[in-house]
Amino acid sequence: MTTTADLPATTTTSSRPRRAPLTRLLRSELRMVLRRPRTLIGLGLLGLVPVVIGIGIAIATSSSDGQPIGEGIAALVAGNGLLLPIFALVVALNMLLPLTGAMLAADALAGEASHGTLRGLLMAPVGRARLLAVKAFGVATVSLIAVTLMAVTGIITGTALLGGDGMLTSSGTSLSFVDGLGRVGLTVLLVTIQIWALAAIALAVSAYTEHPLIVVVVALGLVIVSGVLSVIPALDWLQPALITTSWESVADVIQDPLSWDPLVNGVLRAACYLVIGYSIALARTLTRDG
Amino acid sequence: MNRKRTALAVAAAGTATGVVGLVLIASPAGANEPPPALPPISSEALVQSVLDSKVPALSGAVALQNNLGLPVPGLPQSSGKEAFARVYSDGTGRARLSLGQGTAGERTIVHDNGTTWFWNSADRSVVKYTGGAEHESVEDKLADPATASRTFIEAIKQDSVVTVDGTARVANRPVYQLVLTPKPTERTLLREVRVSVDEATRLPLQVEVLANGQSEPALKLGFTEFSTGAQDASLFSFTPPAGAKVTEPEVGDKPTEKQRDDLFAALDLKVVGEGWDTVLTGKIPAGALDQQIPQGQGRGGVDITSVLKQLGKPVSGPFGTGYAISTNVGTALVTTDGRVAVGAVPQQVLVDALGQK
Repeated sequence: MTTTADLPATTTTSSRPRRAPLTRLLRSELRMVLRRPRTLIGLGLLGLVPVVIGIGIAIATSSSDGQPIGEGIAALVAGNGLLLPIFALVVALNMLLPLTGAMLAADALAGEASHGTLRGLLMAPVGRARLLAVKAFGVATVSLIAVTLMAVTGIITGTALLGGDGMLTSSGTSLSFVDGLGRVGLTVLLVTIQIWALAAIALAVSAYTEHPLIVVVVALGLVIVSGVLSVIPALDWLQPALITTSWESVADVIQDPLSWDPLVNGVLRAACYLVIGYSIALARTLTRDG
Repeated sequence: MNRKRTALAVAAAGTATGVVGLVLIASPAGANEPPPALPPISSEALVQSVLDSKVPALSGAVALQNNLGLPVPGLPQSSGKEAFARVYSDGTGRARLSLGQGTAGERTIVHDNGTTWFWNSADRSVVKYTGGAEHESVEDKLADPATASRTFIEAIKQDSVVTVDGTARVANRPVYQLVLTPKPTERTLLREVRVSVDEATRLPLQVEVLANGQSEPALKLGFTEFSTGAQDASLFSFTPPAGAKVTEPEVGDKPTEKQRDDLFAALDLKVVGEGWDTVLTGKIPAGALDQQIPQGQGRGGVDITSVLKQLGKPVSGPFGTGYAISTNVGTALVTTDGRVAVGAVPQQVLVDALGQK
């Protein structure tokens, strides 16, 4: 919030105060987001999630005498460290990561508006579309950082606590360590895209309100309502269009061979939400009174 | 101001694109396409070509819609539009079958030249059978629609009217629709069985079972993805992963001929009637009705009689008293003295069958 003041200052000094260099805008936005204490605390807590899960699984494994410790992926994580980041991301995708994405989007526009700093940005010699692009870039990058951080702490905790060389897939094949890392990377990509989709919707809400809390509530409400709708059998036809449908298929990355169809479908669905959310946010930002 | 209007138009177009995209994802593929034009073929020639067809190298995804009105043990619950199994074959008898998705645990079955591997991700167990897979459950067999409907056609040809009812698309491939309708004399709950035969490979790609008075198929099993072509050879070999429990059942574990004969004698299995109104009757071994069925982890067992009371309605007749369980496609009758009759028929046919003893 304080660093935003130097945006107009740097540009007005030049003889033709038309446009600030984009890279500087992006860097400044990123610095600003990452300097917020709540962003840092949120990132730190997210990074702890795989560690906590890893310790829990290590304890559960040592006391279960070879019995499976859970269902689905959980049953495979014991002694299979590279699966821990994927498991943690799939778990966090249900609530923690959407919350993070919504929070970032809420701070981006509604947060600025509630502090009165958005007005300054709207007056600055930065195009409105550019302003939104820079804000969206900030949200997207920090979401990516959060997911990557979880993957990294997950890989470290997994290999240190749970061990295993390579990755055991749910199909019963073993992948080499490098291939396993590839699967983790793919998960990071898929999860990030899903978070971007939700954050885009949250950004649209964020453009309309001055209260960051409303943004978070609407975004989480969307997640919860989607989840409820998806379990009603009479609304089966609606399921392919729900934002949460692709979240379930992310866990398919531990199959071997990979079946790309559900994964690609999930990315397309997320892309649709992303375009919708961003377009609405753009429309509002452009028409908003300075 | 003009730039602003352009940008607004772009934003509106973007929203519309996203919404259209979601609608496209939600609508089933190829629903609005006209049926493909294929050369006409007689039903006899079509059936013959299906029986002669060989399974080529292929990969596919299989989905199941189960609308039977009763959960059937061994049969997976409806998987909706999502595939519940993936099938791979190299065309020379080696095959791989993957059941279940990542979240719910996955089972893999690899059939590699006389050795069959069963992998279960839920408890990381591997079972290795050498020499043929006789232990396939219903589910495993069903996941290969090719074999499933081929046996079906052979058996049902004598009592049915077989027609070719136009063309359609299954898994984005043009198919002939082969329809088996029971002859009017058959007393059955089924209206028709619809088999979609791939035009190129002549493999059945989809089987639908339709019951009387229902527009939706009671059972629909078919490929959602199907492509032929050479498959990666590594798919058809299996190495048990480190840390997995590998069991190799000995031949002695299988019931011997004598035991099997005794079992069948005790069950007293009989087939009454033929064709669509075939009824299978038998006897439940004494005491089985009071046995406990395990009910998953943590919960206690339930004895069969109380399950019967829950599912069926009490009936009585010349056979004594019992419980009738009706579903959309079939009826089962269990008498209190342990006799059973099952068939895709109305209840009265079962009563007649029990009376024939």
